[in-house]
Amino acid sequence: MSSTKSVLRVENLVTRFKSVERGKWVKAVDGVSIELRPGEIVGLVGESGCGKSTLGRSIVGLERPQSGRILLDDIDLSGLGGRKLRETRRAIQYVFQDPYASLNDRQTIGEAITEALVIIGIHDRTRQRRRVHELLDQVGLPDTVAERYPRELSGGQRQRVAIARSLAVEPRVLICDEPVSALDLSIRSQVMNLFLTLQKDLGVACLFIAHDLALVRQAASRVYVMYLGKIVEQGTSLDVYERPTHPYTRALLASIPSADPRIEATREVPALLGDIPSPTNPPSGCRFRTRCPSAVEACAVAEPPTVWVGPGHGAACIFAAQIRATEVVPQPEPQRLPQQLSA
Amino acid sequence: MASKEILRVSDLCVDLFTQRSVIRPVDGVSYSVAAGETLAIVGESGSGKTVLNFAPLGLMPTGVNVDLSGSILFNDTELVGIAEPALRKLRGGSIGTIFQDPMSALNPARTIGRQIAEVSELHMGLSSSQAESRALDLLKLVRMSDPDARLKQYPHELSGGLRQRVMIAIAVAAEPQLLIADEPTTALDVTVQAQIIALLKDLQKRLNMAIVLITHDMGVVAGIASRVAVMYAGRVAEYGPVGDVLVEPRHPYTMGLIDAIPRADDAPGSLFRGLPGAPPILGAPIPGCAFAPRCHAAIESCHITRPALVSTVQPLVSAACPIINKHNHGGAYVQH
Amino acid sequence: MKFLREFLSYTSSLPRLAIWAVGTFLFLGIFAPWLTPHDPNAQNLLQAHLGPSFAHWLGTDHVGRDTLSRLILSARTSVVGMTLVLVLALSVGVTIGTVAGYRRGWVEEGLMRIVDVGLAMPSLIVALAVIGIFGTGYWNMILALALAWWPGSARISRAVAVNVMNRPHIESLRVLGASPARIYFHHLLPATLGAVLVYATADAGAVALAIATLSFLGLGIQPPTPEWGQMLVDALPYLESSPRQVILPGLALTLAVIGFNLLGESIALNRVPTPLSRKILRQRRITAAAWKKA
Repeated sequence: MSSTKSVLRVENLVTRFKSVERGKWVKAVDGVSIELRPGEIVGLVGESGCGKSTLGRSIVGLERPQSGRILLDDIDLSGLGGRKLRETRRAIQYVFQDPYASLNDRQTIGEAITEALVIIGIHDRTRQRRRVHELLDQVGLPDTVAERYPRELSGGQRQRVAIARSLAVEPRVLICDEPVSALDLSIRSQVMNLFLTLQKDLGVACLFIAHDLALVRQAASRVYVMYLGKIVEQGTSLDVYERPTHPYTRALLASIPSADPRIEATREVPALLGDIPSPTNPPSGCRFRTRCPSAVEACAVAEPPTVWVGPGHGAACIFAAQIRATEVVPQPEPQRLPQQLSA
Repeated sequence: MASKEILRVSDLCVDLFTQRSVIRPVDGVSYSVAAGETLAIVGESGSGKTVLNFAPLGLMPTGVNVDLSGSILFNDTELVGIAEPALRKLRGGSIGTIFQDPMSALNPARTIGRQIAEVSELHMGLSSSQAESRALDLLKLVRMSDPDARLKQYPHELSGGLRQRVMIAIAVAAEPQLLIADEPTTALDVTVQAQIIALLKDLQKRLNMAIVLITHDMGVVAGIASRVAVMYAGRVAEYGPVGDVLVEPRHPYTMGLIDAIPRADDAPGSLFRGLPGAPPILGAPIPGCAFAPRCHAAIESCHITRPALVSTVQPLVSAACPIINKHNHGGAYVQH
Repeated sequence: MKFLREFLSYTSSLPRLAIWAVGTFLFLGIFAPWLTPHDPNAQNLLQAHLGPSFAHWLGTDHVGRDTLSRLILSARTSVVGMTLVLVLALSVGVTIGTVAGYRRGWVEEGLMRIVDVGLAMPSLIVALAVIGIFGTGYWNMILALALAWWPGSARISRAVAVNVMNRPHIESLRVLGASPARIYFHHLLPATLGAVLVYATADAGAVALAIATLSFLGLGIQPPTPEWGQMLVDALPYLESSPRQVILPGLALTLAVIGFNLLGESIALNRVPTPLSRKILRQRRITAAAWKKA
């Protein structure tokens, strides 16, 4: 890929969980490789249950990956342990979806942020106070917030506090897991703009995990599309949104409703066949084939490799080149695969 | 409107009394819905859109006392002050309800077949075997794949989308005249969202139901509703046909909301448009316009007198904003 | 102090009867030595089996000791015993539970299997077995009961700890790189302790009952220390001539146990909000009516 050095590189990561079915494992993340360059906002989109949150949690160590490598500035985190790991991995911070739950309701905002400062070894009282003030200012909150408890703040304010606290340890990467989906529409843009400013001002790279495709389109410069534990398409926002190449991305984008009733009246709702299959028994070959309008027998045989259709724009589909060339998803009507709707 | 009016709400106020405080989440709201029509009620959390619909049905958490004033006519039956037994008959009978989270609304220990059949037994007086076969029909009606097998499954065995279909089957089991859907697609993925919206539209056509859809998602509104009421801090800010309100919003709040939706032509990396400030915290009714502190067009009187909801230049659209209504004669209000 | 405040805010919404019963029990237990009108152990055979009089409000027992004083001092025996048992049981239980909840994996598996074994045996049988091996005596009884009670608190603490550990605010500390000691002592332990203390109230009644049972069997509190179970045994031979001596300690014990059980139960149901009282509702309506005029 590009020659710019990446701040975070994830290689072939696999994270699995014990399945509800006895003795079986669910590979929530199954061989994913992604990369973030300094100061870049990268989107990670997909339906619920596709493994996007597990990927984010594995990167910060909240889940234990089974295999694969996570490199932070070319330092392999899997080679570290204990205190050294904690101190190194601190450079990657996580912003949770629910800003209320991510703060201890018995700590004031000031105490919560100060605790983060103590963790990185700032014990001097005046320095702490000054830094708390700085951080609150950075996320657009008044100084008085420091004395309040989380329950006294609105959702948007709490999320700003959570962001301020993760900034306290001077991270190089922020992993934001649906950071605005719990917020009201009119507050969302304010918090989104905060991310954009922080990225610009501090040069923090940001992995933006979301199901809201429109939001990601505007915020991110590059996007990864995930389906059942795998990256199915990746590329710049413009490439992925304007020239989607994987049939799944196309279906996903076509499902976004428009707020304009004139467009809505004529919009064709794509018929994705059924629900997302159970990750315990993923379909053989291409995982999307059970819901794909273009699936042929070959799709069931082997996992499709990523086909690069443009600079940095790849799709894991055997028809990728064809779709890109003709802008049409092939629809082999007669010989459709037997449906496996294991929902 | 040619079709029969099913629901008429006029000047509804809801006061909630709790151990700690008293609040008025709904403050003088009026609207109506006709058979076969969908009215969307749009608002942010705390705008009162959920209380507005569920308090009159007696669906409030225990420990919360509710006082209603104003009038809610459902098929010429007054719901304000109605006795609980009569209300119980309506709930699940001629008024169906769908909630945001189908998992918590379903009984985890019972098969979905049983849960659907129960409604028909209760409200249509069917025998248990009749109800079972009706449950199968209902699952087919909500286009559930493999309905026979689904009858014997438990809620936790189904995906979110399928669970919501079960909820819809239960809601329409007694062929209600009015369906109240509270954020029915919010917990679902976009791909499933579109299917559920299509299903609701289809059911509405078949049963000639009136639907009141509570949502915060303008995309859903555009996809299903014919009229929309935009709520802010317990009051209706703007009310009218979807084609007018969403395309050419007049109230500054509606404008801000619609403007905040990312558009396909926004450049990646560009700042998001939105409204400044935050919605007010519920408490005593606000003397002036509740939106005034966040409004770019607000003048002094906005903070003092409460604006009335009156029709605008476009007679079908009403808005509660004195500024735009002042421009009534001079054409549409122009944003600066 | 924070979890104490939390604990107190809990109690404000509990049934009066339980608060009174438990409150009286604890008050008598703490201040007993200053409250007894007579020396509870002073025997006077000339005044045996007296009925209520001005000098002896509740009469005297078979050796002429003042019943009221003995009842009051028994509360102290009970409170002290109960507290010792619970403190010992909770320290072991909470430690094991939180460690299991923090470490998860095989540590948790191992610890919880031990707890399961402990839970599988009825508490009183365990206590009897321990006393059978080590002999009777005050401290043996306390240890025996603590040994019988810790598995329950370990099970609860582990459940609470697992829940706390999965909350995003602990996860965000882990992401911040907080040391295990900080997470354990500053966040996990206080949060778990607060919740477990509340559950312990429900257990307190059962412990009080167990102390009385063991003493009744002659395996717990030894004479002459006044204790309700002990008083019951003493009075049993005179059941027909002076039933009051049997009924009074029995009643005291029953009230204390019911008080704790009611308290525990209402704490468990505390999540369910109570309907508003008429008075509050009227006040609220007045507030709202003022709005309507405006």
